[in-house]
Amino acid sequence: MYNSTTVISPSLAEVFSTKNGNVYQSDAENCWYIDFAGKVARFDYRCLLKLKKAVANFNVADLILNSEPAADLEIVFICACDHFYILSIMEIIAFQELLDGTFTMLHLNQMVHDCLYRIPA
Amino acid sequence: MKDIIRHKSLISADVEMLLNQQVKKEAHSSSIYLSMASWCDRNGFDNSADYFFKQAEEERAHQLKFFKYILDMGGSATSPEVMNIKGEFNSFREVFEEALEQEINVTQSIKNIAARCHKEQDYVTIEFLNWFFKEQREEEYKARRALELFDVIGEEGTGRWEIDKHVNKITYTSED
Repeated sequence: MYNSTTVISPSLAEVFSTKNGNVYQSDAENCWYIDFAGKVARFDYRCLLKLKKAVANFNVADLILNSEPAADLEIVFICACDHFYILSIMEIIAFQELLDGTFTMLHLNQMVHDCLYRIPA
Repeated sequence: MKDIIRHKSLISADVEMLLNQQVKKEAHSSSIYLSMASWCDRNGFDNSADYFFKQAEEERAHQLKFFKYILDMGGSATSPEVMNIKGEFNSFREVFEEALEQEINVTQSIKNIAARCHKEQDYVTIEFLNWFFKEQREEEYKARRALELFDVIGEEGTGRWEIDKHVNKITYTSED
């Protein structure tokens, strides 16, 4: 596992953090920065959705029970995206936790916007 | 913090996924009807073949309607892979039994999407789905009526020829 030590611009808003990684949103660029597995990667809306789907698709139980003599590493490659990840099972679990939390917070942000600005009291 | 997700898409990721599944179901449906048209044509049921050709076209139109809606709402529409299309049927009646089952599957599937939309208060998609519910009224009616011809006319003697003659005459004329 990696410790997150990257210095992030103050113009970014923190969306969600765990001890293994952080996700920040840039309102100016309409994108997200994901600080995970030793690098900070920029994701636009489409790529973030694809990343979430790709990481969520790993069945951790199957990976743990797999006794084939192969390296316990999985490649997360997203079409039309600049980044890819090579992750261990522990990192996949950590990444799933980070992305689940991120989407929950983004959904919560949408609800807050609805209540404060879009739906009159 | 800006609500980027909502700015990019009107529909949620879950609804988008269900709509994409429906695109696949409609494509599958269209292919099955084409297969039924082929079987009917091979076995001399020309009118039924025409009926299923038309049904195949309708399902394709439904598929494109869902596909375009996903795109219009800011989602990602996925072109589906269609596999395992049955090519042989045991009897003329079985073709129509499977046609009805096909329509029931589609209706149930759209109801499932609507249930999710209600949960999310996605009334925009519900309004879109209402057209399909009306359409399914007609589709299920036609499929059920076609199957009933087997009981009303009977298959003995020239019964199947008679059934084939009547299949294309089934129309749904209920008021809106």
